Amino acid sequence: MRRSIRIELLAILAECRKTIRIWFSYPIMIVFWAIFPLLWVMPYVFQGRALVGGATSESFRQLTGSGNYLAFVLIGAMISTFVFSALWGVGNSLREETYWGTMEYIIASPTHPLVILIGKTLAEWAWSSVMVLFQAVIIALFFGVQFTLAKVLPVLLIVVLLLVGFSGFAIAFAGFTLLIKEVHGWVHTLEWIFFLFSPIRYPVQVNPVTAVISTLIPLTWALVAIRSIILLNKAEVNLYQTVLILLVMDVVLLVTGYFLFVYLEKKTRRDGTVGMH
Amino acid sequence: MSGDSTVPALECRDVVKQFRRGRGFKKKVIRAVDGATLTLYPGELFGLLGPNGAGKTTLVRCIATLLIPDAGTIRVLGHDVFKDALFCRQQIGLLTSGERTLYWKLSARDNLKFFAALYGLTGKERDKRIEYLLGLLGLQEVANERLERYSSGMKQKVSLARAMLHDPKLLLLDEPTLGLDPQFGRFIRGFIKEELNKKQGKTILLTTHYMDEADELCARIAFINQGRIVDIKSPEEYKRDIPHKEILKVRCLGQFDGELLKGVSGIERVSAEFNDGVTTLNIVAERAEMVLSEVIEAVRARTRILGVDVQEPTLEDVFIYMTGTSLGADTKEEHETQYQD
Repeated sequence: MRRSIRIELLAILAECRKTIRIWFSYPIMIVFWAIFPLLWVMPYVFQGRALVGGATSESFRQLTGSGNYLAFVLIGAMISTFVFSALWGVGNSLREETYWGTMEYIIASPTHPLVILIGKTLAEWAWSSVMVLFQAVIIALFFGVQFTLAKVLPVLLIVVLLLVGFSGFAIAFAGFTLLIKEVHGWVHTLEWIFFLFSPIRYPVQVNPVTAVISTLIPLTWALVAIRSIILLNKAEVNLYQTVLILLVMDVVLLVTGYFLFVYLEKKTRRDGTVGMH
Repeated sequence: MSGDSTVPALECRDVVKQFRRGRGFKKKVIRAVDGATLTLYPGELFGLLGPNGAGKTTLVRCIATLLIPDAGTIRVLGHDVFKDALFCRQQIGLLTSGERTLYWKLSARDNLKFFAALYGLTGKERDKRIEYLLGLLGLQEVANERLERYSSGMKQKVSLARAMLHDPKLLLLDEPTLGLDPQFGRFIRGFIKEELNKKQGKTILLTTHYMDEADELCARIAFINQGRIVDIKSPEEYKRDIPHKEILKVRCLGQFDGELLKGVSGIERVSAEFNDGVTTLNIVAERAEMVLSEVIEAVRARTRILGVDVQEPTLEDVFIYMTGTSLGADTKEEHETQYQD
């Protein structure tokens, strides 16, 4: 027995709608997210000014090609917000389902839990997109970064490829959430691994270890390309190479993520811990 | 195949489910279900009766594909639940005990819409089905209110509606009246028997540890204790087959056990329940009147008698007779074995 793609798509849509409705049932969260983009930018501004004594730095230009430290860091923070939200969202949402007692009903239904995960990921992306849009407006208004269509289109392509790869990662992570039940510690650890080994807050070429390890992380390739396009106005810079590398990483991460999730979901059903939290 | 009325609606054969608990030397294997075999025929309302921890819920979870058994086979309408999980899940409607099984931040209607999508119901067909179920369960007026404002009984009604959303052939109802007030409990029992079973012809596996519920609703009942199916019969057959015909119940002040009646001849078995300062002695005898005077004398010598009653054996009495365990007992830890790797 197989289900049609239409039915799976409608299940994804239903999950998306449900997730967003539950978010909006907590009005205080809307207030928080409304001021979040402003709060988010301040520490970077102050940290940047304290470190380089202004908005630009010559030594920074030698490392990255752009002296605009603040724009460098803010772009890193913006893109990382996007990808980490998938990790947080997907990991947390499965944990929430077990808290709500609804996880067993999802598993017992004919819909594969991966379909639900896709719905949750899409809802997270939709929400993160709104946040990132606000952040982009702030960067454009206060830090002199120009977002033209010629820049935005290739950046969007890279971001989509990056998100696809990260969703593979998030799917595997969701499987671990089913098994280990706790997510916060793991997501924080992963976040800091990414902060350390990818150029979110600093150029990884400052030391050879991070420079080498960072090449294994899709976020590195994406950030290098996005900054080149936005800050250095190099629209042609390594775009094809970056897209190819991200595509290969996406396939590896999605396939690995899928098989890990299927294995771990089956293991929790064998261990009898599906509904536990 | 599923349309064939001779095919059992549910067949469990030698189902075993073990859980490993603890670590290192303290590691134990709990045999929650121990070779359970049962068959439900189409349209049957079948009860699984046993005390807490007997393995009822574990067996239901295995049937609902939430747990993978260690041994045995489970077939729904002739299809193996693990080889053909998609088909079987579409045929099963599940209701578990506890009120936290729905999205409290959503309305009843939104909850049902979401779960309908998981079962492939969409558009007008979905809306029609939801309206029908809301009407059937008397929820139409509150359908747009968030579930957090509902009482436990109303939430259980929504759970029941969810179990029926996709019009399943087999309903697994795990302790459907647990924790409900008597009014809602009565409604749910009536709904299961009259609407779901008699009118709609659903095959129902009902687990409960309330003997009255099983007695009132079920055509056949399986007694389950320590993971094993002890016997399967109709409530009448159980009562008929018990070799004792009468139960003498004596309520007396203070806490006592069967030792109180040591020396009274003609008694086959005594069990004692203590509650709120009162002990109820359940005395099984071939004929109550033959032991009555001696029992009263023995009890009165030690305490004050509050009441005496002679009853026909209930399913609870039969269960105690067959297993030596009360339905109110918690047998969770009783069937553990030390784990040896």
